[in-house]
Amino acid sequence: MVSAGIEAINIFGGTAYLDVMQLVKHRSLDTTRFENLLMKEKAVALPYEDPVTFGVNAAKPIVDSLTEVEKNRIELLITCTESGIDFGKSLSTYIHHYLGLSRNCRLFEIKQACYSGTAGYQMALNFILSQASPGAKALVIASDISRFLAAEGGDALSEDWSYSEPSAGAGAVAVLVGENPLVLQADVGANGYYGYEVMDTCRPVPDSEAGDADLSLMSYLDCCEQTYLEYKRRVPEADYRSTFHYLAFHTPFGGMVKGAHRTMMRKIAKAKNDDIEADFNERVKPGMIYCQRVGNIMGATLLLSLASTIDNVRVDSPKRIGCFSYGSGCCSEFFSGVVMPQGLEHQRRFGLQRGLDERYRLSLDEYEAIFKGNRTVRFGTRNLKLDHEWIPGITNAFGGRLYLNEISEFHRKYVWI
Amino acid sequence: MNKEKIVEVLIHNIREVLPEMDEYSFQSEDTLSDLGADSVDRAEIINLMLEELSLRIPRVELAGVSNLGELVEVLHGKLQSA
Repeated sequence: MVSAGIEAINIFGGTAYLDVMQLVKHRSLDTTRFENLLMKEKAVALPYEDPVTFGVNAAKPIVDSLTEVEKNRIELLITCTESGIDFGKSLSTYIHHYLGLSRNCRLFEIKQACYSGTAGYQMALNFILSQASPGAKALVIASDISRFLAAEGGDALSEDWSYSEPSAGAGAVAVLVGENPLVLQADVGANGYYGYEVMDTCRPVPDSEAGDADLSLMSYLDCCEQTYLEYKRRVPEADYRSTFHYLAFHTPFGGMVKGAHRTMMRKIAKAKNDDIEADFNERVKPGMIYCQRVGNIMGATLLLSLASTIDNVRVDSPKRIGCFSYGSGCCSEFFSGVVMPQGLEHQRRFGLQRGLDERYRLSLDEYEAIFKGNRTVRFGTRNLKLDHEWIPGITNAFGGRLYLNEISEFHRKYVWI
Repeated sequence: MNKEKIVEVLIHNIREVLPEMDEYSFQSEDTLSDLGADSVDRAEIINLMLEELSLRIPRVELAGVSNLGELVEVLHGKLQSA
């Protein structure tokens, strides 16, 4: 059987970010509480950034690293998002255009809350494994932007939801899937999936979201356990502690992952507290580093944690990474893959950490101004011209990035700056 | 297990997660949020309860419970039907 997996992975964690503790103090929230939730920075989409620009900016360096022949073998482009800009036309059509991909390519979008990136990745793997088009590649782009303003009115669904603002980020992850998986070779068939109907968090209206934090966390924990048990049913020799050198989690915020890992280690691996802390630092923390700097980017978060793991560990021999994905509503999956030493060399070219380090740090006034005075581009905007000089010089500081320029009769037009 | 025992286990677990509650005298109307538990703490207390009561039920079935008294009632009911 042909092998399949990740040939390259790149992230885009925003042009600008906000310091989370600064926001917490400004909102008069309990700072000690937030220290336990392990958040640091959150990426913030500027008015002229949308899920298309984020997606293109994540994928462009990967596409640029390919030869023309390789690029033309991308026959499947899946966008994965809960921040769509049109009910019919998918983000993938715009992204396909601005990446200059071959027209002999399938373009569509997948939605299932924070599980979407995993759904896209698994579908891409299956396309490669099916060998329906030998040698073809698939590009999976998960891209999400927070609409943190809670839906007004109601009680249960918006209670405690103000606490989600500090964790809500913006970002995208692009994954090139193919037969030469230097970066992560998929463990084919080693997948535990689990889904059922639950109303935990959702986006029931445009530009806003609602949720029940307790229900969502309970559902996440239930799924964390059930997906692993199903994985183990299919891979009986699997051992939660020793089979996986590293664990990547869907990371709404660090504290939630720490809690989930603690629960799993106590219940599944029968570990004691000191032991759990050491295991967390060794196997889980590498995957949280970039997540703590970007915030929750929904459908792209697990892939961000995977990229963070791959980028922040030493791999002198093949290492297995266990991945847990959860998307409200809900669907979830535990799956795994093996990262290769030679793949890391290949990955370094994308300079993921540098991209995060170079971002513009927003002041609180700038952050607040983005959401006031209709600067945010609302769903369904018909005509609009964007002002790139709103924060002077910010777009010129980075070479070769895509930004939204105007909307003309609903058609979005982008420009490379 | 009777309700008194469940209350005892619950208080023990709350103090385990929230050590500052050591001297506090719990009331059945108290909510975990009032006691200073954030969503991760609340989930941890529920986890510890399920483990110590050996209850194998989805955690989501306990998500809507509003206060300590109700939590004890629901756990007691689940134990009876387990």
